[in-house]
Amino acid sequence: MPHAPSSVEELLENPRLWRGRNPAQGMAGLASGYEKLDRHLPGGGWPRHALTEILTEHYGIGELRLLMPALAFLSTEESADFSEPGWIAWVAPPFQPYPPALQQWGIDLSRMLIVRPKTDKEVLWSAEQALSSGSCAAVLLWPERLDDQCSRRLQLAAEKGGSWAIAFRPLAARAEPSAAALRIEMRASTSGTRLSILKSRGGRPAVLHDVL
Amino acid sequence: MQQALAFDTPPAAPRAPTATATAVQRLWFCIHLPNLALEACGVSKEARVVVEEQHGIHRVLLACPEARAAGIQPGQSTNAALALLPTLHVEERSDLREQQLVEQLATWLEQFTSVVSIAGRDVLLLEVAGSLRLYGGLPSLRQQLAAGLQQQGVEASLAIAPTPLAATWMARAGRRACVREPANISSALRSLPLDCLDWPGAICEAISAMGVTSVGDCLRLPREGFARRFGSQRLLQLDRALGRLPDPRSSWRAPERFCADYEMTEEQSDREALFAICHQLLRSLERFLLTRQLGTQRLRFTFFHLRAPATRVLLGGAEFERRAEHWLDLLRIRFERVALPEPVIAVRLQGGRNQSMQASSECLALQGKRRVSGSHYTMAQLAERLAARIGDQLVHSVTTVAEHRPQRAWRLQGLPDGLDVVSLATARQQLYRPLWLLPEPALLPDEQGYPLHQGRLTLLEGPERLETGWWDDDGIARDYYTAMNPRGLHLWVFRNRNRSQERAAGWYLHGIFG
Repeated sequence: MPHAPSSVEELLENPRLWRGRNPAQGMAGLASGYEKLDRHLPGGGWPRHALTEILTEHYGIGELRLLMPALAFLSTEESADFSEPGWIAWVAPPFQPYPPALQQWGIDLSRMLIVRPKTDKEVLWSAEQALSSGSCAAVLLWPERLDDQCSRRLQLAAEKGGSWAIAFRPLAARAEPSAAALRIEMRASTSGTRLSILKSRGGRPAVLHDVL
Repeated sequence: MQQALAFDTPPAAPRAPTATATAVQRLWFCIHLPNLALEACGVSKEARVVVEEQHGIHRVLLACPEARAAGIQPGQSTNAALALLPTLHVEERSDLREQQLVEQLATWLEQFTSVVSIAGRDVLLLEVAGSLRLYGGLPSLRQQLAAGLQQQGVEASLAIAPTPLAATWMARAGRRACVREPANISSALRSLPLDCLDWPGAICEAISAMGVTSVGDCLRLPREGFARRFGSQRLLQLDRALGRLPDPRSSWRAPERFCADYEMTEEQSDREALFAICHQLLRSLERFLLTRQLGTQRLRFTFFHLRAPATRVLLGGAEFERRAEHWLDLLRIRFERVALPEPVIAVRLQGGRNQSMQASSECLALQGKRRVSGSHYTMAQLAERLAARIGDQLVHSVTTVAEHRPQRAWRLQGLPDGLDVVSLATARQQLYRPLWLLPEPALLPDEQGYPLHQGRLTLLEGPERLETGWWDDDGIARDYYTAMNPRGLHLWVFRNRNRSQERAAGWYLHGIFG
């Protein structure tokens, strides 16, 4: 018996209808501190308990500045269950994160842990341990290689520990498959930084200029 | 000294001293280890004997039940014993191993009382009057002690008396006696044979030649004559046993740092078996630390091999800790990556610096740092796990230092200092600083005075002049600029001001704004 929908609302209730964007799904994002970026991210910010990939040509083009407001918020956040704010773990950073600058950005240095494993395997192991421990609010990692399987493991560890994983990868990784919830490509030029959202779970790809 | 006194001046008044009225009633628990020599040789199911050299001949000192069943008796020569049972294992008596076993037991016994005394080679004395309430009375304490000793594979005869000597004699005689009142000591000692006194053989023979065969008979002898014939030392012992004279004992103290060995009967290369041995050592470490209310931050396992040099495994923690399970967890992570060149013949566990630990209440969830219960763990535990696998030098936290020189305005804090970062209250500088700092400033090539980094740099801000540190050898005089390269990278570069001798001219890259 064919049944013609009488209104748009009725049509939307049909479970067979898939909608590309459903803001009610998933949890609220973590505000990035950059309004332009937040508008293009589902939930209005970084995906909290998931893996984010940032692809850059070099280190130092603004990838840390992009994260700083959100990390500063996490390191001082008072959570509902009276527990301490979470830690921020840096796994295998390419240079020394400079404490005075971090402090200027409002990061609580007493909640930072820097880990420098010697091999790539240990980088991934340390990141997975930190993510699933439940005591790290965010884990930043600089792996040499990150295949599909490893990114899936990190994604699962982030979900398990309720932690935000951020992997920094070269531009060449763009073609590789990844389980990350969000992939952002960053390109810098003298005129400004261009951000391309390559993949966004629950969102849409976009290209943004002059975010920073 | 006392011996000499006894001979030089005969005791002036060998009258029985009246029992000293002590305010505190003491109760001594004696543990006599009759088979110590055999037990010190380790556990084995085979028939074996311990032999000792007497007048040039090796004679059987102790025989295990299997050997006794074959007709081997203490006192036989070794050859006679071997003739009876050719498969017999013969072990030489080892004073060192016996002492180690007794000390190990004393360490274990320290959990029951603070006064543990090693009296003679096979006797341990515990003063338990103060521990009775905690352990639920004497019968319960006795039961716990007996069960613990049995678990450690030691056969012991136990006796309780208000004086240490009375308890020792009763234990040596194998009486399972328990005397609580000082008034009852003499009646309890009356029927004991003379050999439980452990007096020299000549004296015992002389006494029994007089028709005196028990301690009760000795007590009935005239005091003056007894002291003259057998030495006032013996009379003194009888008085002490009866509680007429005080008998202070020094209490044994285990060494402050834990060190224990496990020697294997055969070489072992199975990791699981080695792991079980380490677990056992860690449990004795836990007991050791628990009795002292201590915790430790570092442990060292040494695995000895027959030919190759020993393998060392160091474990470090972020917090002082004593739980065996905790250390076992760290060891498991670490052990996966340890390569053992050869099978292991012995394992040694050494504890590092100890610190007193407060007992913590574990039921109030609000006090714990734990965010989520279950399989999750705290930050300190996470840091320990990471350090155990990748090395402690590679896991650290950071802090700022009040200092103008950029490379000195921060420092690393390693795990041993704990994770509680001491924040040196530095005023938050309102200066623009890069998020990435290079470990060492890198010299940049230049072109017509302009620095190059993937092309010619454009100076955006600066100079910020830093001229400080003249008081040490690391003084700087630099002009810092913020610069941008053609690819849009923001860099922190500087130029040295005094371009004298070693301080070269030119541009240096010191940081990236990230």
